[in-house]
Amino acid sequence: MKHLLLLTTLLLSTSANAAPSQTDVLEMLNTIDERQRNSGDYKALAYIEQKERGKEMTAFETVIYRRDATDKMMILFLRPKSEAGKGYLRLDKNLFIFDPSVGKWERRTERERIGGTDSRRADFDQSRLAEQYTPSYKGESKLGKFAVHHLELKAKEGVDVAFPVVELWIDQKTGNVLKAQDRALSGRLMRTVYYPKWRKVFSESKGAEVYFPKAIHIFDEVEKENQTQVVLQKVDLNPLAENIFTKAWLESQSR
Amino acid sequence: MLGVIAFRNLRQGGKRTYLLGIALALVTGLLVTLMSLSNGINDSLVRAATTLAAGHVNIAGFYKSTPKESAPIVTDMAPIKAIAAANAPGLTRVIDRHRGWAKAISDTGSMFAGLYGVDVADEGALFAALQVASEADYQDGGRAELRGDPNRLGEPNSVVLFAAQARRLGVTLGDRITLRTETLRGMSNTVDVEVVAVMQNLGMMSSWNLLLPKQTILDLYGLDPNSTGAIMLYLDDIEQSPAVMEQVRSALEEEGYTVMDHDPRPFFSKFEVVSGQDWTGQQLDLTTWDDEVSFMSWILTAIDSVSFLLVMVLAIIIAIGIMNAMWIAVRERTREVGTLRAIGMSQRRVLAMFMIEATALGFIATTIGAGLSVALILGLEAAAIEIPVDAIRAILMSDTLHFVVSPTQILLSVVGFTLFAAIASIWPAVRAARLPPITAIQRTE
Repeated sequence: MKHLLLLTTLLLSTSANAAPSQTDVLEMLNTIDERQRNSGDYKALAYIEQKERGKEMTAFETVIYRRDATDKMMILFLRPKSEAGKGYLRLDKNLFIFDPSVGKWERRTERERIGGTDSRRADFDQSRLAEQYTPSYKGESKLGKFAVHHLELKAKEGVDVAFPVVELWIDQKTGNVLKAQDRALSGRLMRTVYYPKWRKVFSESKGAEVYFPKAIHIFDEVEKENQTQVVLQKVDLNPLAENIFTKAWLESQSR
Repeated sequence: MLGVIAFRNLRQGGKRTYLLGIALALVTGLLVTLMSLSNGINDSLVRAATTLAAGHVNIAGFYKSTPKESAPIVTDMAPIKAIAAANAPGLTRVIDRHRGWAKAISDTGSMFAGLYGVDVADEGALFAALQVASEADYQDGGRAELRGDPNRLGEPNSVVLFAAQARRLGVTLGDRITLRTETLRGMSNTVDVEVVAVMQNLGMMSSWNLLLPKQTILDLYGLDPNSTGAIMLYLDDIEQSPAVMEQVRSALEEEGYTVMDHDPRPFFSKFEVVSGQDWTGQQLDLTTWDDEVSFMSWILTAIDSVSFLLVMVLAIIIAIGIMNAMWIAVRERTREVGTLRAIGMSQRRVLAMFMIEATALGFIATTIGAGLSVALILGLEAAAIEIPVDAIRAILMSDTLHFVVSPTQILLSVVGFTLFAAIASIWPAVRAARLPPITAIQRTE
């Protein structure tokens, strides 16, 4: 509630006055993180669709499981049949992938592209923008009909992130991220991500609403014809079974 | 005397002798051809491996800033290079190359590729072994003249491709491609590089390796200039690689370096193992050239296995043929055997007579078969026949049919099949020798 009040004050003041201070900008990031954080568990059905140059479109039906309090996360593939039972499991700072067709676990980088699409683990995980990046205010602008704050975020020293520079366009009215652009170390634009709709669900454990993007559109800016669409549905914040975030549980899903 | 009789009998055998001889000659020729093909693939593999992927002995390793993050680099390269050079007998040259992995993206295509960061000044042998491809080799309707200069790899942000890669990416000289990868800390990074030369393919290995200037790799991964991917030692005798590797290993350990236990697999197969180990800092990893291409040894194993199976099946058929022919000879010549035994020829000499007959047939036929196959192989090698199918080109690691004839193997094939023919004739010959003279004469009468 405190963050919401701060954001409202900030949004009202910045829409009428000069550029926000560094503290205000940092608060914007904190608010974005806080809104998406859930102190309990998180489960959602996610459809991931990938269009790639010269290839047939691929689509996956997955379930995302998260326990933010202990930094655990799992992505379980349900469809297509050939991918059913495959899954990613994040334990502490390790990301593992399990392939039931060979019955083997492999360690992967945390920046892994999920299912070979342009989506990454971080796109489904808890938002940690304030923790990972130092923001700077670029100015106000328009994104279609929306008045937005334009921020540039630079990765903090020693923090492992996929993109060292991220630009954000934040809706001045709602405080939601509408667009993000991820840049490589060389400065090259790698991805443009749109968040056209946000939804919120009341969390008993948090005692407040948890925000999540209903859809994420990811455009590959290097391989221009490649794009990924993510649709999140059935977000459930009820407690999950204790043993879900284990290799044994994930393996059991393909038996 | 026995030899004269045996040769006379072979002549009298007529069609049967010729058919058996032709079969033996064909199987010997087939074996020699298959072995030469296998040698050719092995030769291509060694050439491609030691030109592109590895030295005869390689000093690579992993650096771990945290127990979970491993990078395939050797830090503080200079002293390691000096120790290796001082402790490698028969060393002819020592170079180092950076290694990487990236997605190469052009306007019309993309592919994942291994990156080799090279110093043009050190790579005379590499560029002597590679040949510039004409545009027609990788573009439909491309120009036939040879253009492109691999020595331009000294220029910043340049790249040398192989023809198969240029075709896949749809690029030619002067085009730019984007390399997309992650730094050792996992951050996305890119570099745009210009195609300065396209080289002729060097089998399967050239389909996944790009050559870049060292500095480009250093910039791409944010590495220190005194680091490298692998120090490669080239020897005057490749057979000495394992011994030299052990010698260099001891020298490095004596100097206080931590060297991983010998694991005969290429470096990229070791990430999983290394990432799971609980240590930080630098560990060196020593391998020989064949360790680095061990993932391709299945090709040779498969070809050798198929050859062995094929030749064995044919050999069994021929053994049955020889035994059958000898049985017929024994039956037809029972009176002769009886007469020879009656006039005092011992059982042992009768046995020897039949065996000499089979051995002579085997020797003459296998020699002719081996000779004809060598002539055929030399002709095919000289004709440099292009392999039309990409997959076969990749497996055989050459764009043309390549054979290497081994005199030792030819000699062994001739001796082996001659002995085989002799052994196949033992049982009929023993039966002939054991015939009682009276019975033999009566049966024919």
